[in-house]
Amino acid sequence: MKHTLRYIFSSLLFLSLSFAHAQETKTVTKDTVSEGVVPKKTAVTKTTATTPKTDSIVPPVKKDRYGLHLGIDLFKLSRSFYDKDYTGLELVGDYRLSKKHYLAAEVGNENKTTDDERVNFTTKGSYLKVGFDYNGYENWLDMENIISIGLRYGFSTFNQQLNTYRIYNTDQYFGETPALTSGQKYNGLTASWIEVVAGMKAKVFNNVFLGFSIRFNRLISNKQPSGFENLYIPGFNRTYNGDFGVGFNYTVTYFVPIFKKVVKPAEKKTAKK
Amino acid sequence: MKKILLLLFVLSFSFSSCEKDDICDANTVTTPRLVITFYDYNNASAEKNVTNLSIFGDGMEEAVTYNGSTLFNGSTVSIPLKVDADMTTFHFILNYGNANTALVNEDIIQFNYERENIFVSRACGFKTNFLLDPTTPFVHSDAATPDLKWMQYVVVTNSNITNENETHLAIYF
Repeated sequence: MKHTLRYIFSSLLFLSLSFAHAQETKTVTKDTVSEGVVPKKTAVTKTTATTPKTDSIVPPVKKDRYGLHLGIDLFKLSRSFYDKDYTGLELVGDYRLSKKHYLAAEVGNENKTTDDERVNFTTKGSYLKVGFDYNGYENWLDMENIISIGLRYGFSTFNQQLNTYRIYNTDQYFGETPALTSGQKYNGLTASWIEVVAGMKAKVFNNVFLGFSIRFNRLISNKQPSGFENLYIPGFNRTYNGDFGVGFNYTVTYFVPIFKKVVKPAEKKTAKK
Repeated sequence: MKKILLLLFVLSFSFSSCEKDDICDANTVTTPRLVITFYDYNNASAEKNVTNLSIFGDGMEEAVTYNGSTLFNGSTVSIPLKVDADMTTFHFILNYGNANTALVNEDIIQFNYERENIFVSRACGFKTNFLLDPTTPFVHSDAATPDLKWMQYVVVTNSNITNENETHLAIYF
């Protein structure tokens, strides 16, 4: 089940990437057209090549829309329905600061029961991640797609409950003992970490965007309980032996436009290539 | 940009493949066994080898396997204590299986202890450490069919059983 899911999401990722590839090649071809068009002075080729959009105004004014992306992580939401051991919600948002910079944040809550071979425990808690995204994607005309890298500072406050556990005994003379029930609760746990985020958002229609991001996390602080360990941290996900972790989300966001800014054409030309 | 995307794609796949690393490392200190060392009763400082000693847990059909053998020859042996009870009884049979039944001798030791379960890691789970009872750490008795005790003197050298690096029980014979 876990593996099939992983494959589904991997293939989804692959599809979304190939989608991005397709888009990029499209922009490149269109871009060469526009480049061929702009320097030409003859009015004849201009009218034939360009769309009626640039009918009266000679230099096409490009305006960037500024505002908020507000949305939800679809993966956590859907998982809450099919995985009886998981309930989670993550709200995502970003605000465009400049042409390429976005202030970004995620806030979420998770309730997850992890059933490992030797321990079964439930983690409950909330988290907040704040940081920025840098959009490295050069949009053509009024496209508003984002392929970004970013950083986040994450903080989580949570509690853990050890449900059952097994004793590891190298000598199996008396046989493997059944799992023991604990019920021990560890409260007041916190952790903080840094995330490197690689993500993308593609406009599907109107102001609705579909996004995907993967995250590489590194713990800064981790308040461990005595007698147990933080094997799962809300927002950070599964912890490994070191302080490294990974995560991802699959978001749908709605863009709330607030104002528009005129893009200087010179800036656009130097940014290309 | 295409290269970055390709890198992300490869990374995301490599991470999904290397997640299953949940194997408890053999070098990890987990539930310890009870380490017994045999000494010469007439020369207390010298270790003495036992011959064809078999150790049976009470009610068990097979003897404890130590170093791949159920017949033990040597001066140090480790035996497992029950992790789901505060008491384990063992039958120590010297010269086990010997045709000359006069040489075969059985002694019984019942160990009394407290247990503490301690978290080790995700892969290993928990381990159990034992603390031999301070007042009655063990009860030494002869076999059901009396054949005189072959153990002359039994003493606890370390009641706190947390690893197998030291001797917990010394048996003089």
